[in-house]
Amino acid sequence: MGNPASNILSMKIATKGIFTFAGGTHPPQSKELTAESEIQRGPAVKQAAVMLSQHLGAACQPLLRKGNMVQAGQKIGDSDAFVSAPVHSPISGKVKDIALQSHTVLGRSPAIIIEAYEHNPTKRPVADKFTEEFDENKYSAEQICDAVRQAGIVGMGGAGFPTRVKIEPNPQFPKETMIINGCECEPYITCDYRIMLEWTNQIMAGIKLARKASGCSQVLIGIEDNKPEAIEVMSTVIEKSPNRDGIKVVPVKTKYPQGGERQLIQAILNKNVPTGGIPPMIGIVVLNVATAAAIAEAVVDNTPLTHRVVTVTGEAIDEPGNYYVPIGTSVEELIEFCGGVTQKSAKVIVGGPMMGIAIADLTTPITKTTGAITVLTKEQIGKAKFERQQTPCIRCGRCLEVCPEHLNPTKIAHAVKNNLLDVAESYYISGCMECGCCSYVCPANIELTGYIRTGKIFLARQKKKIPE
Amino acid sequence: MILADIFQLWNSSWPAGMTMLALGTGFAIVLLIASEKLKVKIDPKIEQIHQALPKVDCGACGFAGCGSYAKAVAEKPALIGKCAPGGPETAGKIAEILSLHISDSGPARKPMVHCRAQTDDKTYFATYQGIRTCIAANALANVQACKFGCLGFSDCVSACKFNALHVIDGLAVVDYEKCTGCGACSKACPRNLIEMVPFSQENMMTVACRSYENGKTTRSMCKVGCIGCGLCAKQTEIFAVEDNLARLDYDKYQLTGQTKTAFDKCPTGVIVLCGPTAPAPRQPSRKPASATA
Repeated sequence: MGNPASNILSMKIATKGIFTFAGGTHPPQSKELTAESEIQRGPAVKQAAVMLSQHLGAACQPLLRKGNMVQAGQKIGDSDAFVSAPVHSPISGKVKDIALQSHTVLGRSPAIIIEAYEHNPTKRPVADKFTEEFDENKYSAEQICDAVRQAGIVGMGGAGFPTRVKIEPNPQFPKETMIINGCECEPYITCDYRIMLEWTNQIMAGIKLARKASGCSQVLIGIEDNKPEAIEVMSTVIEKSPNRDGIKVVPVKTKYPQGGERQLIQAILNKNVPTGGIPPMIGIVVLNVATAAAIAEAVVDNTPLTHRVVTVTGEAIDEPGNYYVPIGTSVEELIEFCGGVTQKSAKVIVGGPMMGIAIADLTTPITKTTGAITVLTKEQIGKAKFERQQTPCIRCGRCLEVCPEHLNPTKIAHAVKNNLLDVAESYYISGCMECGCCSYVCPANIELTGYIRTGKIFLARQKKKIPE
Repeated sequence: MILADIFQLWNSSWPAGMTMLALGTGFAIVLLIASEKLKVKIDPKIEQIHQALPKVDCGACGFAGCGSYAKAVAEKPALIGKCAPGGPETAGKIAEILSLHISDSGPARKPMVHCRAQTDDKTYFATYQGIRTCIAANALANVQACKFGCLGFSDCVSACKFNALHVIDGLAVVDYEKCTGCGACSKACPRNLIEMVPFSQENMMTVACRSYENGKTTRSMCKVGCIGCGLCAKQTEIFAVEDNLARLDYDKYQLTGQTKTAFDKCPTGVIVLCGPTAPAPRQPSRKPASATA
């Protein structure tokens, strides 16, 4: 953990041009818990709470009222804003209420709560419908973009940026390269890995459709080298498929946070995305493998994004695995399906242990961006971290070594702690992507990422409330 | 002997002394002329206004401190009523300096915490271990069961410059004796629980809850939350129930028999009196009152 020598080595490799970035850390992978378990059907839900804000951008407005009937796949919330995506009902049933629900990012947010009918047909994955001979030329670029918007597809890797905005051709920033993110650098999570193994043809179809829509000439699929099977399967499919020019698998070094958009671009193309900017500004689109699969489903099968694969894992779970679940399922129901919360479970995290957010309310629903539920025991968290035994900063500089954005986490955290937000801003607090590397390596157990996140909320509040 | 030494010293040093004196006088004259020629004209009113202000630099007016507020108010008299700690008295003094007449701006505004749940009244799902500020805790989903109530991590206490707020048993309580009404606490609260209310009476009545959840949910989470039963609204029209939450019209408030009955009848005791001489909040009645009673 946080061995300075290994980090210096990785920096040297990065400058030589092998596929990685400078900084980062190597937390234990712990993927063996669920890596071999096939994608199974999740619980038959009685109730689904579909959040109206599951993406970056404007929240949706509900299209239904309390008491209305809904069909599975029906659009239930939409917005006129450009950066937004509609939400759909995953089940058939009746709208029970439109109420506030716990939201992992926003704290609390309105959701449409749908009570399922008794006999509800469960949706199956559509991967079987796709073959290696898939031809994307049947669909026009506009058709693809429109289908992606209508299906409400957002980046399923975690940030939830509406995919239509990403892939739509923009005359201001022409796109050249598309990077498909199959890194899955976060410990414990294996949903993308299983998708790559089981839904390979569907992902390939999605990649081709996204390439057609965005007009990119080059497609690079970045996969960490701890997943040799996934690299092999994807390469084989590319070899067999027609129109494969420019599509290539790029194995990248196993390191956290290799799956961060900017880190992946740095690793594969050796380009820097400007601070405060987004990849399309330098002609790059980054899509997650799960997003590619969702695009294929939306365009070919015309079905909206209502289900996703979630890894339920952690040492406190009896039956860890990868489950295909309706969006809106509560965390409680999913954990119950996998054997329930036991005596030894100490912390329930939505997401992985590095970037995930611990929750207290188990009725928190699964959203489009939830990749995993991790339930950790006290031993996994570590006694010192669990009991919050913080000591003063000893200026060892480990957080600076690991920061993939080359920031100074300790300076920013101290500034936020002492309410000096202008100082925090001058150290580029907004450039932090909250990967958690600094908190992970800190020998003094200081919650650096927590302070940075708090500072960001402070700044957002301050900017909204400017005195006249 | 000694005299001879002094005489010698004088003989050798008087030219240096004279030169210094001449230089000093020269510079003094230059500075005198410069200070007259390059004088920055300060409006004497600004200094007078600054003297009239309480000089606590609380920032309630929206300016960096009393100095910059004095400058601003001298240029733009519309800002006259912005000094909350000074209140109408200071506003009157400023108006006198600027030779203006101001109308009565109504009663002073004081903060009121719209929650009365102490640690025992609230429901918690888990222990919060993160950074101990309200703003960090509020970003996390459900630190406590109630999504609206006081978090008790003292963001308002650190915002208060007058030591007029304290967190007592997980709930922020205003000390009205010390409070100047600057409103810093109301800006600091991430859940917007602290509202600046015009105190037309010494003690004001309020519905100390902000939960928009329905009655059943509120009851399951909090012993002293507003369940929206509407008993208070039946007594007097200054109460109105909207979105499962009773509200009081502060402008119309008078302590009459009807409001006293509403205060006594409230099943959860969420109607409380705030102020320097306010009595302690009522305990909730044992029996849950039916909404149609």
